[in-house]
Amino acid sequence: MPSFTPSDYSAILLSVRVAVVATLLSLPFGFIVAYLMTYRRFRGRVALDVIVNLPLTLPPVVVGYLLLLLLGRHGFVGKMILQPLGINLIFTWKAAVVATAVVGFPLMVRSIRIGMETIDVRLIQASRTLGAGWFDTIMTVIVPLSVRGLIAGSVLMFARGLGEFGATIIVAGNIPGVTQTIPLAIYEYVSSPGGDVMALSLCVVSVTISVLVLLFHEWLGRRMVRSD
Amino acid sequence: MELTVKVQKQFGTFFLDADFAIQGDQVGVFGPSGSGKSTLVSLIAGLRHPDRGFISLDGETLFDSDRGLHMPPEHRRIGMVFQRAHLFPHLSVRSNLLYGYKRCDPRYRKITLDTLVSVMQIGHLLDRGVRHLSGGEKQRVAIGRAVLSNPRLLLMDEPLSAVDDSLKFQIISYLKNTCEIFKIPYLFISHALLEMRIMTNRVLNVEEGRVTRQVTGEDLARERMKDAAGYMNLLRLTAPRRINNLYTYRWEDQELFISSGSPMDETIFEVSSTDIILFKRHPEAISARNLLKGTVVDIFETGTRMGVELKCGDGRLIAEIVKEAVDELELSKGVEIYAAIKAVAFRRLG
Amino acid sequence: MRKQCIKQVVIVFVLTLSCLFFAFHHRSIAADETKKDTNVFTLGEINLSAAASLRDVLNEISDTYVKDNPGVTFMKNYGASGAVAKQIENGAPADLFLSANVKWMDHLKDKKIVDEKSVTTFAYNRVVFVGKPELKVAGLKDLSKLNKIAIGSPKSVPAGQYAEEALKKAGVEKDLEKKLVMAKDVRECLMYADRGEVDGAFVYKTDAELMAKNVKILFAVPQELYSRVTYPMAITAAGSKKTEAAAFFKFLQSDKAKKILEKYGFAIR
Repeated sequence: MPSFTPSDYSAILLSVRVAVVATLLSLPFGFIVAYLMTYRRFRGRVALDVIVNLPLTLPPVVVGYLLLLLLGRHGFVGKMILQPLGINLIFTWKAAVVATAVVGFPLMVRSIRIGMETIDVRLIQASRTLGAGWFDTIMTVIVPLSVRGLIAGSVLMFARGLGEFGATIIVAGNIPGVTQTIPLAIYEYVSSPGGDVMALSLCVVSVTISVLVLLFHEWLGRRMVRSD
Repeated sequence: MELTVKVQKQFGTFFLDADFAIQGDQVGVFGPSGSGKSTLVSLIAGLRHPDRGFISLDGETLFDSDRGLHMPPEHRRIGMVFQRAHLFPHLSVRSNLLYGYKRCDPRYRKITLDTLVSVMQIGHLLDRGVRHLSGGEKQRVAIGRAVLSNPRLLLMDEPLSAVDDSLKFQIISYLKNTCEIFKIPYLFISHALLEMRIMTNRVLNVEEGRVTRQVTGEDLARERMKDAAGYMNLLRLTAPRRINNLYTYRWEDQELFISSGSPMDETIFEVSSTDIILFKRHPEAISARNLLKGTVVDIFETGTRMGVELKCGDGRLIAEIVKEAVDELELSKGVEIYAAIKAVAFRRLG
Repeated sequence: MRKQCIKQVVIVFVLTLSCLFFAFHHRSIAADETKKDTNVFTLGEINLSAAASLRDVLNEISDTYVKDNPGVTFMKNYGASGAVAKQIENGAPADLFLSANVKWMDHLKDKKIVDEKSVTTFAYNRVVFVGKPELKVAGLKDLSKLNKIAIGSPKSVPAGQYAEEALKKAGVEKDLEKKLVMAKDVRECLMYADRGEVDGAFVYKTDAELMAKNVKILFAVPQELYSRVTYPMAITAAGSKKTEAAAFFKFLQSDKAKKILEKYGFAIR
């Protein structure tokens, strides 16, 4: 068993933390977007669909660079909103979360949408005629019946987040203890002669976490079927 | 219930243009598939928006495009029952039933779970999940759910089409019973004339997106007499008694012999107009078990034959005979006549 | 309907593969042909792998060489010395290797990838700290006042190793934990500092003089705190078979080359 440095341990913990936070943060937004795309007609629907799915088709590095341009010191959001509030996102842990969230968002929305589309539209009509307003219907009918999609989306996003590299390294940088997640740590070792053993060890850790997460997802899915 | 509707809606090539005002508590909406019945009803419920128009119920405006008014469905207090039950799969039967009740303003809560459950006889289903209920049970729960929300109008979109024939009339009786007991007016959509005749006393005839006229189920039935099956007389029979292999039932103020009955206290039977034989004089001995004395009330043409409406005691029957027979028997209004019906000609509904 | 779909996909796939195959085949034939043609006039191609900090000086030296030796072409690979060494170790073509520290050269020596006998020193350098002109830092002890500092990843970038060495010796390493942003080479460090993403960066004196736009040298890291920045160079086992590589290797040790080195701020002694 190779000895991990404190820096390596913090990389592992950081990876999990960043992935979890990014997933939790994206859940409400993902749900809202999925709801709008599934149940509402509005101008700009197609545009929203394209924007949401963009990170899926762009190389993560491009996504990272665009985020840097947007949120950096000279970026639109950076100049107008963040600087005046004294918030600096670039090269912080928060930027890692943002990068992971943006890259994984389309996966989350997709999963939730698939789940939502299986909900019988008559159920929603029934709940409206029984006196439930649109918000009430969302909370008492749509959310409970979307749980499968929400979980699938979360798991997918978490797993993707664990592996996020391209966008993260651009917008959050490689700062051990702060933003250096497992993939970034592996990258460093890979560039280093003699670092192969450590790189491989971290790979094993990464794979193990992913496998555990996927097994958990399977178990959850089976539990839900049983309770039906 | 007073309902005024004047709406228009375009879907692709189909154009709905409904304009009617109706009063009553048991109203039907009748028409062929694709005529726009379901759309009309969804507009009344508020589930879809008309392109333009006006809808008002009991004096309250639900929709008015001129004033930009659209009351959302949750405020209209209009309940809806669909073809399939569409029960909430993640809730128990009890929670399904109470869904609308909980959201009903307390001052309108006349119907409670207990009374509903006893009327619809679904007490034994209360704590079960909805997935393993039979079709008929599901539909009963769906009706109960809609009724328990204490609506001021109940819309039913072909609620019996997906139900087994053997159960249909059972559910019809639950439906009609429940609505009558709790005084809930309803709009009943169907393309089945029989259901229409039993459930409603006024019918909106819808064709190609327009409400063409207001008639009764009876009128429609008589129009259909040209078909080979003739006119179906619907008789509500009560108090069955078994005598050897026959049942006797009470019909209005008379007694009838039926070959296949049921132990239920009240049952609806149908007997075709073509199964009634008319006698000018009382035939002394006859194989048919039922011989009713009556007076001719009306004679009318039905395609190739003639319909003869009789008043038998407090009941009405329509028989169909050929033109020649009318002449031979010298039938006209007011003439006394005997009607013979075989015990086996009565078909039980439900 | 499904079978039709699969059939079409397979056909497209096979066609695409064939196209690619022919394209590559054609290209390699063409390449061989041009090689044959050019052999008459050229002295060949030299694969040069070197530390990132040598980029500009080596470019000028090689340009100068080409003027006198037209027909020589260079394939250059610049990067962090550790990363470059690793690439060579894994089979990347290299005739000459110039590292920014002895460690990686020794590594390749051990693996017998470079010709031991050819190893000699090319140049020397100094580590400095650059940052925004208005920052009030005069030495390593002042660095804890800053938010973020870029440093080449010590795992593969010699400049980062030297800086880390100095930080450790000065005893300030612990204070700077979580402030260090790892860069993949010195150029990236400089870029971070230039863009303002970090407050300052550890770079070579030669880089700072060359490229600093928005930053300036705030202080030189005291030489006693780190081993001297030495650039060993060597011919690889592959390169020793090429006369053109040996010729250029000699040129790198010539006075002409040394003058250019000094011009860029390197020490030659």
